[in-house]
Amino acid sequence: MRTLHTCFIILAQLLCSSITNATIGRPRGVSISMASLYQPAEDGTFTCLDGSSKIPYEYVNDDYCDCNDGTDEPGTSACPNGKFHCTNAGYVPSNILSSRVNDGVCDCCDGTDEDAGRIECVNNCKELGKKLREEQDRTRKLQQEGFEKQKTFSDEGKRVHEEKIARQAELEKERETLEVTVKDLETAKLEAESPETEAKDKHQKAWDELKAERQAKKEVEAASLAFKDLDTNGDNSIDMQEIIARPEFDIDSNGVVSEEEAKEHLEDKESVDYDTFTKDIWPHVKDIYKKPTREEPPPEVDPAIEARGEEAQTEQIEPPAPGQPPSPPDEVDEDGEYDDDEDEDDDNDVDEPGVNDQTVPTVPITDRIEGEPELILDKPSEEKDEDSMPEYDEETKKLIEAADEARKNYDEANSKLKELDNELSSIKSYLEQDYGPNREYAILQDQCFEYTDREYTYKYCPFSKGSQRPKNGGHETSLGNWGNWAGPENDKYSIQLYEKGQNCWNGPDRSVKVHLKCGLEHRLLSSSEPSRCEYAFEFETPCRCSQPSGGTAQPHDEL
Amino acid sequence: METPSLWVMQQILVTLILLIQSSVAVNRDNFKTCQQSGFCKRHRAMTPGQSAYEVITETVNVQSTSVNLQLLNTVTNVKLTLELSGLERSTARIKINEVEPIKQRYEIPIGDVLVEEPKRQGLKKLEQTSQSLTLGIEKNKIVISFKPFRIDFYTEDEPVVSINAQGLLKFEHYRHKQEAQPEENVEEAKEGEEPKEGDENAEEKPAEEEQKKDEEEPDLWEETFKSFTDSKPHGPSSVGLDVSFPGFENVYGIPEHADDFALKTTKDTDPYRLFNLDVFEYELYNPMALYGAVPVMMAHNEKNTVGIFWHNAAETWIDIKSNVADKNFFSKVADFFKQDSDIPQTDTHWFSESGVIDLFVMLGPKPKDVFKQYAVLTGTTPVPPLFSIAYHQCRWNYNDQDDVRNVDANMDKFDIPFDVIWLDIEHTDGKRYFTWDGNKFSHSVDMINNVASKGRKMVTIVDPHLKKDDNYKVYADAKSKDLLVKNKDGNEYDGWCWPGSSAWPDFTDPEVRKWWESKFLLSEYEGSTNDLHTWNDMNEPSVFNGPEISFHRDAKHHHGWENRDVHNIYGHLVQQATADGLILRSDHKERPFVLTRSFFAGSQRNGAVWTGDNIGEWSHLKVSNPMLLSLNLVGITFAGADVGGFFKNPDPELLTRWWQAGAFQPFFRSHAHIDTKRREPYLLPDNNMKIVRNAIRARYTFLPYWYTVFYNTYKNGGPVMQPLWAEYPEDKSTFKMDDQFLIGPSLLVKPITEQGGTGTNVYFPGANDVWYDILTAEKYLGGKSIYVNAPLEKIPVFQRGGSVIPRKMRVRRSSGLMHDDPITLFICLDRQGKASGDMYADDYHTFQYQKGKYLHRQFTFSNNKLTNSNADKNGVFETKEWIERILILGVLKKPNGVAIKIGNQQQQLAFGYDPNTSLLAIKKPGTKLQEDFVITLL
Repeated sequence: MRTLHTCFIILAQLLCSSITNATIGRPRGVSISMASLYQPAEDGTFTCLDGSSKIPYEYVNDDYCDCNDGTDEPGTSACPNGKFHCTNAGYVPSNILSSRVNDGVCDCCDGTDEDAGRIECVNNCKELGKKLREEQDRTRKLQQEGFEKQKTFSDEGKRVHEEKIARQAELEKERETLEVTVKDLETAKLEAESPETEAKDKHQKAWDELKAERQAKKEVEAASLAFKDLDTNGDNSIDMQEIIARPEFDIDSNGVVSEEEAKEHLEDKESVDYDTFTKDIWPHVKDIYKKPTREEPPPEVDPAIEARGEEAQTEQIEPPAPGQPPSPPDEVDEDGEYDDDEDEDDDNDVDEPGVNDQTVPTVPITDRIEGEPELILDKPSEEKDEDSMPEYDEETKKLIEAADEARKNYDEANSKLKELDNELSSIKSYLEQDYGPNREYAILQDQCFEYTDREYTYKYCPFSKGSQRPKNGGHETSLGNWGNWAGPENDKYSIQLYEKGQNCWNGPDRSVKVHLKCGLEHRLLSSSEPSRCEYAFEFETPCRCSQPSGGTAQPHDEL
Repeated sequence: METPSLWVMQQILVTLILLIQSSVAVNRDNFKTCQQSGFCKRHRAMTPGQSAYEVITETVNVQSTSVNLQLLNTVTNVKLTLELSGLERSTARIKINEVEPIKQRYEIPIGDVLVEEPKRQGLKKLEQTSQSLTLGIEKNKIVISFKPFRIDFYTEDEPVVSINAQGLLKFEHYRHKQEAQPEENVEEAKEGEEPKEGDENAEEKPAEEEQKKDEEEPDLWEETFKSFTDSKPHGPSSVGLDVSFPGFENVYGIPEHADDFALKTTKDTDPYRLFNLDVFEYELYNPMALYGAVPVMMAHNEKNTVGIFWHNAAETWIDIKSNVADKNFFSKVADFFKQDSDIPQTDTHWFSESGVIDLFVMLGPKPKDVFKQYAVLTGTTPVPPLFSIAYHQCRWNYNDQDDVRNVDANMDKFDIPFDVIWLDIEHTDGKRYFTWDGNKFSHSVDMINNVASKGRKMVTIVDPHLKKDDNYKVYADAKSKDLLVKNKDGNEYDGWCWPGSSAWPDFTDPEVRKWWESKFLLSEYEGSTNDLHTWNDMNEPSVFNGPEISFHRDAKHHHGWENRDVHNIYGHLVQQATADGLILRSDHKERPFVLTRSFFAGSQRNGAVWTGDNIGEWSHLKVSNPMLLSLNLVGITFAGADVGGFFKNPDPELLTRWWQAGAFQPFFRSHAHIDTKRREPYLLPDNNMKIVRNAIRARYTFLPYWYTVFYNTYKNGGPVMQPLWAEYPEDKSTFKMDDQFLIGPSLLVKPITEQGGTGTNVYFPGANDVWYDILTAEKYLGGKSIYVNAPLEKIPVFQRGGSVIPRKMRVRRSSGLMHDDPITLFICLDRQGKASGDMYADDYHTFQYQKGKYLHRQFTFSNNKLTNSNADKNGVFETKEWIERILILGVLKKPNGVAIKIGNQQQQLAFGYDPNTSLLAIKKPGTKLQEDFVITLL
């Protein structure tokens, strides 16, 4: 596409007739090395450096752009793509954009870019040169010193690397034998466990049967006692009037036991005899029925409390006073609801037929609340013996002993194998980690560095993570976990990226770029947040120092 | 800039206010619908028909420049007084008020919105009968019909504007609250129904119907919206009127709405609403209110352009309907309507919560006449300082002074010009405006000076809410001097905004504005310099915990006016006081720059406006064009949208297209929310960065043209960014066009606003015109649509054949470094081989131009001669700007020579010619801009 811009240049085709020429000094804005290209040709012309056109020599630096490449105006701002050369004697020469020539800003330290009177520029190249040399000296010294340290880190890194490789080989060998051992022990274990399980199951079954029998007996006793108690007229049958007399049968809690209610308890019968009572009625009324109270009943264990487990332990410090609703916990909503739910569960438990109050807790509770044995110990102890399973017989005991031994042997060997695997995998990840070209950064592994500003303390653990926590307390926020080296292609080890930190509200996951620079110590220098939730750390370390090369850009003293 | 969302989200934890809203759309529930607004409902419920009002004939009093009369409501017997006055430039003003209100009604003071008391002009009494009064004003006729009352305006005997033709005039007079009235009282009132002459008090004699209606109506003395109750101590007070535009199908204006440029019928929606509000992530293409309000509407057709200005600061709703003209009525007056076919008509219905009816009717007849007529009333944008029409780099937030230094340095490193770097709310000490965060901006003056050393400026945000902290001296001062807005009980108004509990200075009070101005003095605003300018945000005002996120309507301003009376001018007055403060700071030497989010009619005088918190989506890029056209049409010329979109993270393609569009919109600033990824142009992928850089540089090359266009609109009013019909009023196909526009008279712009777009149909207006692509010099014939390729690197922009556009092709780091740079004249010849154009120049930053220190040059090309002559003898200015190059497109053959004549001196100039593009390039006339010359192609 031909653009208007290139059209400006069409003037260049013009030929101009008579121009006398003599050797002319170097035009403004041209460096010495380019000076030869700015000599007028014999016919008094100048050829644009890209060769695109030939123009009268007087068009050079006439404040009008004639060349496509902008080379006819090295000393003015006329060409959009031109360059102006500052000699900057005493400092570093530079080429600035033509657009910065005569714009009222001093860009060259020698002030040569401004000659149109817009601004007076002071030549400060000498001071800058001096400063530059000092700075260069400082940098060189720093680099040298840092590089020495870096070398020791690098040697250390390499040594550890070798060590790890050796250790890896050793472990791998060890592992081979150990793996066989573990297999053998596992077989032995399985062999020992099979007869053990059989014997234990048998014992358990016998015990279960015994328990059931005892339970049934207890039920009958309780029914019989209740029958006697309810049968106030002693006619060996319980009729409606006898039910009506007992307030606990008031289903709708209106204070009176109605005939309907009584009938319902007696399953639509006018009266029932002992057998019918024990068989049909008792299972339904046993939870409603109240035993005559002569003495203080034992403290009732509220299954609700037990079932609530851990939370009840910590929060329900005082039981609610009888007859009052439980006092609302501080955080009303959640806990209130939670309590309600639990109550409902309790009701369900109670309604389950055939479950005896006293036998409910033991086994299920241990399942539900691991590590909270206190609750079970609180149980009334007199019933405990009766409830525990009798000891195994000798034969079974022996089988168990044998199985225990096999298990122990297997477990020991197996855990040794796991330990070994762990070590191997940590060696592997160490060996795979990119610790820099000479493994000099390995020294930073497992170290952490902190930097504190006005508000936060930032923590940087190389090859692991970055985080921050408020200075005045509060918990740590992850800014990112080790990702990768993220410097530009030609300087990969200048930046580390830590990513997938804690998510920002309405934003990305937090991340940190750590910019590394040469320094004599490992030091976290600063932290900033250039973009929302994208942090930048500055970290100095000898690892970044490189051997200073012989002669870098030296300020020159060209006149 | 920002919205309350973040704050609100944080507050949830504390207040348990549930704000469960999608994060991508406006929460409509926060804002009233017409159904939720008592007076809107009442006015909207009226049906068009015969008006209850008639003129009391014996009260008609015709004077040299005005007519006074009284109107009688034949249903309620309430009387109103009406004054119709003739104003200079074919403008009429109609004021309707109560005859003797029990409480004075609010009228906007002269100077707040109107620049001065409008100058009157003679009204000629042409005819008076028992039925009507006919008046003449210039070439127009005004007919006041008595029974029923209506007013019709005619241009060349064609009706163009009708008032109360639909009979919707409704005036809720102030009344005393009727305490649960016993039945008998009502009876009594009925008996005394007969109207008395003269000075009766309206509220004493309500007719039974109205009384009953009032009692049924629940919203008269108290209104509730969400959890907010409006105490309405003065009861109902709204006013409403219909305005019809016979012969017009299209009406425009009444910003600010995120909607098409040609306004739509509101038959199936709410009316267009004007009520300044902070709307979070606003929806597109609906009539919801936004941050600012300009109650100015224009109607345009092939023959005529007219405008109306509803001079009322209260909440206002406008219904729009398509209709056909009442031929029966008009045939009595003019022959025009005797034809058979229907004449289209647009009916509009305006109603405001309080105040008076004060309507300006601007009779055109051409677009530029209406622009001028309106400019005379509310003023124009003074010539902006050059830096302010260049490129602005903004973000919420540049974190600290190092961040500012780095952005500034990076822009230079990538050679991307920019003029201003902005600091949002985080730069302050705890959102206390006029202060700095001492840790992040410990050396603000050094920071500003460093930026200014390259000809650049800075802007800090100064919002009108003051943190209630007695140790904050601005607040403490305002409190001790009693300058703050009050609540209904007369105590300091308290609301939440960025700093937490806040108070607001009462900008409706001229004394408060004086006080505010003084806060910008360098001695008051510590750490500021003359290179620091200002941004007013949240000035609707935004009150996070207020009704509709703003003030309570019963909040009290000075003289006891309620916010309901003044709501829509509050933000405008904040900007006015701020601009005046910056002027005061430099002792009236330097031009101020102030950006505002809220605005009203007249805000153009105070600086720039932007379209608030848009979203980084293609649809928001697209809607920026109609929104800015609407603002420009009604005088808010210095307007822009956040380039890139405030919310979200747009992809590089959208960002690129947005920068391209922004480069050709009047106010050019990129901005982004604090939660977005950084997106300074140098962070874009290399290819996009280069395209964006070219777009920004293009802006800089056109600055002399922009500056000239701004100058011309300062003098004559009218838009900077123009709808095509402003220049081609007879071209019907342009009437609904809002995806392309003109900058000034000569640049046609069609931004690409579609994802993946690689070309677009461009309509080239003017059957006799030709257009030239500004990049390729390709030529397009006018009067048709032509597909133009527009790959990512191209923004379709065309220069009109027949125009001369001055440009500066040496793009510097900032416009401040370009003041003295030489000029290239781009001349595109029309089909007759002619062209003309102008260039305005001055010192680009002081008020000296208002004292005659300026240059306005005229360039004319015809008969192979280009002349540079003085366009305005009143302006005298010596500039260093010189003419470096002249490019003429459309030169059909290579001339034999080119000669320049200055005075009596003649001289040959070097030139080149390219027959393929018919481009003639003339090298270096080398004359100063102010030097007359004639260049002849031999």
